[in-house]
Amino acid sequence: MPIHEKSLIRPENLVEHDELVIDGVDVSGHWSTFIETRAISDYNEDLQDEIGALGGGENIHRCWQCGSCTNACTVNAINPDFNPRYWIYLIRLGMESELVRDKDIIWQCVSCNKCTYACPRDVNPEGVMKATAHWLEMKGHTEKKPSMIFDEAFSEQVFDTGKIEDGLVLRQFFQRTGQPLTQPWLVTLVTGLIKRFPVFYLMRLGLATVFRPRTKGWSRAKAAINEYVEEVEAANRKALKLDAKGAE
Amino acid sequence: MTKPVLIVGGGPAGLSAAHALASAGQKVVMVEKEDRLGGAPILSGYAKLVPSHEWAKDAIGGMVSRVEGNDLVEVHLGTIVDKFDGNPGDFKATLKNGKAIEAGATILTTGFTHFDSVNKPEWGFGTYPDVVTTTQVEQMLSSGAGVKCPSDGREPDRVAILLCVGSRDRQIGREWCSKICCTVSANIAMEIRESLPNCNVYIYYMDIRTFGLYEGDYYWASQEEYKVKYIKARIAEVTSDGKRLLVKGEDTLVKRPISIPFDMVVHAIGMDPNVDNMTISAVFGVDLNKYGYVNKTSTYAHLAETNRPGVFVAGSATGPETIDDSIAQGQAAAMAALNMVRNPVLEAAE
Repeated sequence: MPIHEKSLIRPENLVEHDELVIDGVDVSGHWSTFIETRAISDYNEDLQDEIGALGGGENIHRCWQCGSCTNACTVNAINPDFNPRYWIYLIRLGMESELVRDKDIIWQCVSCNKCTYACPRDVNPEGVMKATAHWLEMKGHTEKKPSMIFDEAFSEQVFDTGKIEDGLVLRQFFQRTGQPLTQPWLVTLVTGLIKRFPVFYLMRLGLATVFRPRTKGWSRAKAAINEYVEEVEAANRKALKLDAKGAE
Repeated sequence: MTKPVLIVGGGPAGLSAAHALASAGQKVVMVEKEDRLGGAPILSGYAKLVPSHEWAKDAIGGMVSRVEGNDLVEVHLGTIVDKFDGNPGDFKATLKNGKAIEAGATILTTGFTHFDSVNKPEWGFGTYPDVVTTTQVEQMLSSGAGVKCPSDGREPDRVAILLCVGSRDRQIGREWCSKICCTVSANIAMEIRESLPNCNVYIYYMDIRTFGLYEGDYYWASQEEYKVKYIKARIAEVTSDGKRLLVKGEDTLVKRPISIPFDMVVHAIGMDPNVDNMTISAVFGVDLNKYGYVNKTSTYAHLAETNRPGVFVAGSATGPETIDDSIAQGQAAAMAALNMVRNPVLEAAE
């Protein structure tokens, strides 16, 4: 039988046997290459609900596969393997192993939201991409991305003090991603600032770095925010059937 | 006094025409081959109808009782028209039971026949008891028995609905879209999800044709509110692993072969021309179109006309039709027939 769509055969599905005899016929070696089945034999019916439970994924079940999102996609124009329509389909049907195969592409969504405005059924594909990246991370398929580490350093500070001290965000980001703080561009930026900035502002910057002021009466806001964040995280972990926080 | 209008077939189109004519004071004779009126929705035991969600026995039953209770309508059950002669304003029909009927005009509302799934043996109907048709699921719902696998009476965990069974298929000489099956299947899928919330329902489709306003109430609603899953694939075959049904095909959106277990497979069967259409064509002298339905001669100028003056047609005798459109066509045919019996001279003078 001729193979019409060779592109559909993944290298890992090609099998050669050094020594194999079937019914007395020698089928060893390259001339007797086998192709393993790629038939779908079951769906993971929980996958859509899991992604749908994470922020941004709520409307994934609406998709009818028109492809508007992929056609509108900024990243797809550069990398044809970045295909939101395809991933939404895999999730909706529960083809989990197929989805995980693309774990190193999915998170590259740049959140331009062109798909959001193109989608006729208001699926919010950008949100779905975000939820899917989140899902991959929570399930342990992917490492934390630098952007997530930055976001964490940023929001921890906001939750803690109600204010942002940029220097601290940067220091924590470089520390947590294992990069030296003495980035050439950062050194140039800081020396430039010191040379040109009025002394009064420099003093205020310095004081803020040392004393880390808080927004007045922040403790109640902080408690409320932390409670909410814990609530959402617990709900997310429950939806994905993961253990309570800390048991990853 | 004008002669009555003969209506052949007591389904939605015929009932609608009879009621319309009687309302205008016109005498009607209705002939129905089965032992009761109502047509497919009653005879095949449909459940809730599209788009009103009323039970068929209530909605169509109401049409039946207002016709049966009308003094201007004479009903002959369990018989067919055997001979039919004459001209507009002066037809003579002889029924199988020997009775002779005079009529000024005739309306054929002879309907359709459900596609027999045995003609697509690769999809397992007749081989595996858990392969059923949409009509059977309608009966499970309307009888109150609930959706259960016929083999052992268990409630299904996974149901597959295959669309276009007996439609859009040159292999079996049926090139038409049966028009209603997408909407009916979405409706059935929602009813299954409602009665069995843990049951996953998959619809295998080539195109989804829930036309007009049915798009929102059936296609979108079944996806968005009832989480029915639509997979673009025409199934190659339905087999069994001994325990469950095995559905094989290709998921064309991801170019991937599928081989998936199901508890129940439902054929969304299409609408065939009435199996008696050859006889009807010969008795009444009306042409059939190339698909085997009664041919309408005009699309725009005159509704409901056949090639034979004074013989009109309405409903699914003319092709796959919805119940509400059949009812509308029944009224259109009634208007044409009424004009024919009240003003037969105009026709001659032209």
